[in-house]
Amino acid sequence: MKLAVAFLLAALPLALHAQNQWTLVQSTLTWHITHPVHEVAGTSHDAKGKGNCSDGGCDFLIAVPVKTFDSGDSNRDLHMMQAVRGAEFPMVMVRTHLPQSALDAPTIDADLEVQFAGQTVHYSHVTLQRTRHGNDVQITGTMPATCSDFRIDRPSFLTVPIHNEIPISIDTTWRPM
Amino acid sequence: MQKKLNQRTHDLKVHQTLGLVTAIPFCAAIIVSSGAKSKRNKADPTGPPIAPGSGALDLHIALGSTTAVLYGFTAYYAIAAPKIPGVKPKGAIRLHRDLVWIHAPGMVLTPILGGLALSQENNGEKVHGIASAHSYVAWTTAGAYGASIIAVSWPLHLKFWEK
Repeated sequence: MKLAVAFLLAALPLALHAQNQWTLVQSTLTWHITHPVHEVAGTSHDAKGKGNCSDGGCDFLIAVPVKTFDSGDSNRDLHMMQAVRGAEFPMVMVRTHLPQSALDAPTIDADLEVQFAGQTVHYSHVTLQRTRHGNDVQITGTMPATCSDFRIDRPSFLTVPIHNEIPISIDTTWRPM
Repeated sequence: MQKKLNQRTHDLKVHQTLGLVTAIPFCAAIIVSSGAKSKRNKADPTGPPIAPGSGALDLHIALGSTTAVLYGFTAYYAIAAPKIPGVKPKGAIRLHRDLVWIHAPGMVLTPILGGLALSQENNGEKVHGIASAHSYVAWTTAGAYGASIIAVSWPLHLKFWEK
């Protein structure tokens, strides 16, 4: 009996640790651009992510290589790489800090810090939706990015530039470690 | 690498602009082509041509030559644009590139055949042999060229009224 209690006590920190760490197991990040004669989306499924919770707060980090976004046209993707200075700044990083209690709510009000194209931009009060699927938690939402936020020269087609807004939709599935 | 990407974008922007500019004399050459055909007197079919007037023919030749020269510059910028290693062409750009195999030979052949046709007419002959394919080759070239422009512009979502 004493041995069992000792074992449980020893295992408790490990169990708590397991609940406090999250890993990104599935992701779909999509940028959307709009032009008067075109609407295009580019998607990446290659994001890596990690979450750590301690002292009632959680830090999440998502990183995705710029070159993994695929719009279905290699010429456009290379032009995108050029426009966002993807060779100099090959990663998009998104960080957020949330109160641990927020992870149980169906909607999350997040402040996001985004590093992209050599700029760091903060987006406050981004609404994310949370859905639980067994052990996994799915987080979806849209980041209201713009070209001007990241000092991206807007690409043009037939001399007309794309719209400034380049919303990035996020669909991620997290699993406790 | 970023420098290479910048150079590539620059070259392809010039390629795009020149390609659209080239379409203008190309279309104009086709429009005036009917006036550049020789016409003979029905009462004297073996006699000298009664049309075109040299003005219509000269205009057709000038527009055709301008098209060929601009096409050459357009092609140069596409060829000169740096290639990015490890990137395989995918999507609409593949059709755009494949159509080169039709309109590039066409753009070389069309003026040659036009020159042959003109030479035969100047010798008082009816246009014959390979020279008689001048207009067919020109139309095929124009079709492939137009399709090449549409290939990289499709699909269009006409929402220009939205800001």
